Amino acid sequence: MLSDITIGQYFPGDSVVHRMDPRVKLILTFVYIIAVFFPQNWFGLLLAVGYLVFSVLCSRLPLRLVWKSIKPIIPLIVITSALNIFYSDKGVELIHWGFLKITSGGLITAAFIAIRILCLIAGSSLLTYTTSPTTLTDALERILRPLKVIHINVHELSMMMTIALRFIPTLIEETDKIMSAQKARGADMESGGLMQRVKALIPVLIPLFVSSFRRAYELATAMECRCYHGGDGRTRMKQLHMGRLDVWCLLSMALLIAAIVTLNFFVPAVV
Amino acid sequence: MEFITVDNVSFRYEYTDEPPVTVLRGIDLTIRQGEFVALLGHNGSGKSTLAKHFNAMLLPTGGKLYVDGTDTADEEKKFTIRRTVGMVLQNPDNQLVSTVVEEDVAFGPENLGVPPEEIRRRVDDALKTVGMYDYRLHAPDKLSGGQKQRVAIAGILAMEPACIVLDEPTAMLDPKGRREVLDTVHKLNRERGITVILITHYMDEAAGAGRVVVMDDGEVLMDGTPREVFARVEELRRVELDVPQPTELCYELRQAGVPLPPDILTADECAEALYTLLS
Repeated sequence: MLSDITIGQYFPGDSVVHRMDPRVKLILTFVYIIAVFFPQNWFGLLLAVGYLVFSVLCSRLPLRLVWKSIKPIIPLIVITSALNIFYSDKGVELIHWGFLKITSGGLITAAFIAIRILCLIAGSSLLTYTTSPTTLTDALERILRPLKVIHINVHELSMMMTIALRFIPTLIEETDKIMSAQKARGADMESGGLMQRVKALIPVLIPLFVSSFRRAYELATAMECRCYHGGDGRTRMKQLHMGRLDVWCLLSMALLIAAIVTLNFFVPAVV
Repeated sequence: MEFITVDNVSFRYEYTDEPPVTVLRGIDLTIRQGEFVALLGHNGSGKSTLAKHFNAMLLPTGGKLYVDGTDTADEEKKFTIRRTVGMVLQNPDNQLVSTVVEEDVAFGPENLGVPPEEIRRRVDDALKTVGMYDYRLHAPDKLSGGQKQRVAIAGILAMEPACIVLDEPTAMLDPKGRREVLDTVHKLNRERGITVILITHYMDEAAGAGRVVVMDDGEVLMDGTPREVFARVEELRRVELDVPQPTELCYELRQAGVPLPPDILTADECAEALYTLLS
């Protein structure tokens, strides 16, 4: 049951999006998430959505994957946009019921919010679907390297992330084993109220903790045996190269933002 | 040529509120380049502690230890020593660092600051040597125990060591995984001339070595070829060690009055001796 959990939803492939430099992908996603909040009219928003749809099509990901990432947050989108209905008194008053007032402007704001959140989620899952966790960590390390100036050790942070990713499946397997062992001794994990179930987890968590510490100790020894001494003087086997493709992608993003901003000037705002 | 020289090495753990525990008591040992040495001893005999001295993970509290002429106590040469004497540990799960096999193998040379193209070459070469090249893009947690341990060996191999110390590398593996790992280790010793120090619980693994060193209570008890060492059945039993099964069978038969030679190691030799006896 526990082994069904997958962390990092990487979906291997060989599309244009997969081949992009992970640093560029990371920056583009970040910029896109901000850019989605720029448009103040339908044309701009349409452009932003179109850009994302085009990227998803380029990645050749099965569309159900994108749907899978959106599905769990639908309630969140509904609640957020529902709240936003009441935040605007622009436009025609549609319903007035006690202190509640719904206007056409409010409905448009709600729709904008919903679409923006959808783009945001779909955009960031496009990143995680097309980039392996290790590559992502690696890209993050290289992008944040300048933070060394303010004494943030980015290399160690990314090393910790890599190790965490590496050990998640190992620890899940171990949890399964301990649970089976405790069940074999008569531990009851499936019945009783919430408190009882939480209590039943204690005999699983304690051995798990103890064994993780032992693992950590052994891993540290193994790393020392392999001459690990932090990020100084360390080289990497995989070098990242920004190619022509990456430059074009960056340019396209710049173009998108320019278009959205221009549209904001010339088309009357609806939100 | 002398490669590792252990000169009267003793080691003890010091505690603040408890009396110190002495683990090694004046060990003298010389290991030559290209040797295949099996290090035997029951739990607590000090064999793992001695192993950790070979790559400067522990430093002797008394005596000196030289690797390729370098004193392991020389702090500046620490990484040179660890690169020269690679170490593989017991649990393969706890020594793999990365989520991709080839990136894990690259970990050692990356730490040493080797240029990227050279790392690529070494990683491919190491993975081919241990027969794991086809799995280079796999995640380690999807591999079997024997495969993981071979990846761990490849990770050490990528540092191009002259000697590999293996601390009970097969203790957590099934018979198939044990075979894979041992075959790999023997191949490295035979084809690359890498010095191997194999710490093990399994007598049949020790029987395949060129030299067997038996430790007990922090001292070297026996040192010789497998034939010489395993012929001393009573002494080995006294320190809670077994002998390989064919040797044991012949020993028991000899005790019962059957005239068999004392230096039998393998099942084939045993069968041969019995056949000659009976015909």
